[in-house]
Amino acid sequence: MSEKDKGFDVLKLVRDARDGSMDAWAKLTLNLTSSHEYQRLQGFFVKPVLLAIALVRKATDSTMSGVLGNLNMPSRDEVLGISQRLTHIEMALDDLAAGLDQLRRTASPSANRPQRPSGSSGRGSDVAGENRAPISAKEA
Amino acid sequence: MAENAMGMIEKLTTMVDNLVKVTTTEAPIGQTPRQAIWRLNKATLYRYTPVKPAEERHRTPLLLIFALMNKSSILDLRPGNSFVEHMVNKGYDLYLLDWGIPGPEDAHLDLGDYVLEYIPRAIRKMKQVSGSETFNLLGWCIGAMLSTLYASLRGHSEGLRSLILLTAPLDFTDKEQISLARMTDERYFDVDRVLQAFGNMPAGLIDYGAKMLKPVENFVGGYTRLLDNLDNPKVVESWHAMNTWVIDAIPLPGGAYRQFIVDFYRGNKLMNGTLSIRGEKVDLKELKASLLNVIAEDDHITPPCQSARLMEKVGSADKLELRVPGGHIGVMAGSGASKGTWPKVESWIAARSD
Repeated sequence: MSEKDKGFDVLKLVRDARDGSMDAWAKLTLNLTSSHEYQRLQGFFVKPVLLAIALVRKATDSTMSGVLGNLNMPSRDEVLGISQRLTHIEMALDDLAAGLDQLRRTASPSANRPQRPSGSSGRGSDVAGENRAPISAKEA
Repeated sequence: MAENAMGMIEKLTTMVDNLVKVTTTEAPIGQTPRQAIWRLNKATLYRYTPVKPAEERHRTPLLLIFALMNKSSILDLRPGNSFVEHMVNKGYDLYLLDWGIPGPEDAHLDLGDYVLEYIPRAIRKMKQVSGSETFNLLGWCIGAMLSTLYASLRGHSEGLRSLILLTAPLDFTDKEQISLARMTDERYFDVDRVLQAFGNMPAGLIDYGAKMLKPVENFVGGYTRLLDNLDNPKVVESWHAMNTWVIDAIPLPGGAYRQFIVDFYRGNKLMNGTLSIRGEKVDLKELKASLLNVIAEDDHITPPCQSARLMEKVGSADKLELRVPGGHIGVMAGSGASKGTWPKVESWIAARSD
């Protein structure tokens, strides 16, 4: 059936009108949001909000540190510091394991084969176990 | 008449079902079988399960690195539309470095951490597992920027054979062409105040900034396309998968974000030759690996002018600029990518993988 035989299509008319108006809006908003004036205005409104958030955050952190200190518990900064230290330990262990692996390869020529991931080498940062089942991005 | 009415009701029911599904559920993305072989902090190195026997596979492993502020599952969106699946089927020993989701404890992480601590260690592990002393590296978006920095600083000494960059934001000379440069101009945007307030750059703000580059298309256009095609299962499935990925953005570590804005967007230090990472000067002439620079012609996030000048700056003897139609994401994850970008990229890598 040709386009002509289909007759008058109201939906198509509405869609065309909508698309036309969206194109016009797209051009208009693009010009607006990419202008320096818009960025200046946005910066003007965002500045006090950011300042308020920073102040609230500082006050909350200070209050929480006081409360946690009184309860003889570690503060937020201390916990964050532990996390960073653990990462450094992870790195040191990773380097150590790589060095040991290098030594093992040098000592035993038969160990020069590529290490297949299905066999665990017992290293802290190695992750053993085959994920045969689909893995979602969330799980990753 | 009654048949027509029944058909209409059935179609409407399908449309409503599809609408409910895409707005209330997450599509299964990142499904190609893989195995985590190494972890450091939040980062994980995955090896995709090969489908070809070892003797039929390419000898040189390929490592994929995606951006810091979105999940790497875009490289493996859904079966039939997955770059990862495509490359595994072509016989590559494929690895992916996933950055994970940074927490408040990671706000200090900067580009030096990623380029000089995480990437070299992941590569060391990949080389150990694959048994190959050389490797190929593919970076996309900020992943391409990190890959370029790594290739310039360590690539030559650590066995980098070839580097593939996809929509790499490296050159910030022509600020009027780069919408994000206007948005992050120091006159209007106080990066330190943002980081003082949040620690890391929140995912919502990054998403908002990206969407405001094309507000009508991003806030309305996507949904009208969905509504127009609610009775088309292929379009609905594709939209659902892409939307699942888009809305699942992740924060950017504060240290890296600050460097990105100050040293790159404002200072253009990489192209000016004044960039230092942990005191080491980044000299693009030291990037000597074979280079494929893929530029998306309709990219509004990283316009072509941000990647093109790299070609004259690097020390590579074997280099190629590839311009492909498409936008920042569509170039690799769009419906036409499997017949456009992927085969071109794959054939280039194949010649440098045995």
